[in-house]
Amino acid sequence: MSRPLERNPEVVWREEPRERAAILAALEAGEEVGERGWVVLVEGGRMHELNLLAGEIWCLADGTRTPEGVAAELAARYEAPAEEILADVEAFAADCRARGWMG
Amino acid sequence: MKLSAPLTVNWTLSYDCNFSCRHCYSRGREGRELPLSDVLRIVDELARCRVAFVNFGGGEPLVYPHLREVARAAADRGLRVSMNTNGWLLDRAVAEGLGAAGFSTVGVSVDGATPAVHDAFRSRPGSLARALAALEHLAATGLSATASAVIFRHNVHTYRDIVALAAERGARTVYLHNFKCAGRGHANRAELDLSPPEWRAFYEDALAWAPHAPAKLAFDDPILALLGAAEPGAVKGSTCGKLSLHLEPDGEATPCGFLPLSAGNVLTDGLEAVWATSPALRQMREKTPQGKCTTCEVYGECLGGCTARAFAATGAFNAPDPHCWRDPTP
Repeated sequence: MSRPLERNPEVVWREEPRERAAILAALEAGEEVGERGWVVLVEGGRMHELNLLAGEIWCLADGTRTPEGVAAELAARYEAPAEEILADVEAFAADCRARGWMG
Repeated sequence: MKLSAPLTVNWTLSYDCNFSCRHCYSRGREGRELPLSDVLRIVDELARCRVAFVNFGGGEPLVYPHLREVARAAADRGLRVSMNTNGWLLDRAVAEGLGAAGFSTVGVSVDGATPAVHDAFRSRPGSLARALAALEHLAATGLSATASAVIFRHNVHTYRDIVALAAERGARTVYLHNFKCAGRGHANRAELDLSPPEWRAFYEDALAWAPHAPAKLAFDDPILALLGAAEPGAVKGSTCGKLSLHLEPDGEATPCGFLPLSAGNVLTDGLEAVWATSPALRQMREKTPQGKCTTCEVYGECLGGCTARAFAATGAFNAPDPHCWRDPTP
């Protein structure tokens, strides 16, 4: 059983719901959204933006969901294959742990 | 990304100060101070808009009578609270009180490694000793202590000594601030400011020394982009009005403390409206190159450098930063 994903409480972050809505609208219209962000993290005096999927994972990483749980929730939300999303969740979580953003 | 509100608010609760520094941007400024109830309403507004950091400056924050109450309210609402002080009033009991009030970091100004430099710059005999003692009191109480040095003509050749001294007394990070030609800094600029080539030499030396320095070195000068030293993905140019906002004692917002142009009042207009609609903030975000910037191939990296400095020196937002050392081919 995988351990739950949990954000480092020392990392200051904020979601921007209007930016998320704009990204979803752009996707709906078939536009390229690239790395456009909607969650901002501030760590060590630097600001980082998380794109649509990374932001979704970050918001769900509250210590109550395993990577599989996060992937299942996002698969339902975006009607996408859970196993593909799981690979993205695990890659993002590994990156966050390397940066000290997740425990 | 378009932020709905600033991430950081730099807040001058009062312009009252027990010092009279030679570079002070705000000495002589007057701002109507709000009653505590209105100050606390602003704290609520910052929290509602999910501002992440609030930093109290001034004026000397420790002179403001309600500092601890305001800080406690901000910390209780989830903001990270910090301040900058000259350290004169910061003894052990005050340091403990700041910790209890919810401060996460306190910065102390150390502008010289000797009293001859620091005390003269700060126009107060004994101020270096008190600043260093303040760092020790903060470290002893477990509060995160930082030091801030404004680089100017009389300390640029001994800045490493300042860093070593501050680190020895407990500062983990030392901010090496660029000299702002605003207020008294503008009036005394001819004597205190460095020339553009001197700024380049200082930054090249400091960046090379940083990995070996006894404390973490931090810089806040957008002109560093000229040396390729900007963080990957970092906001280009000044962060003022893009990530941060300054508040005056009466609730008026300005892009930064060095640019005394009102962007609106957060108490009467609301923070999100000020942030989204202010023409002054739009000018900070949408600069167009002027003068030598028009032919500079790295303009896209620095966006003209420090807007406050350019504005103070020329009265124009889009003028080239007077510290810029580049001489682009026309």
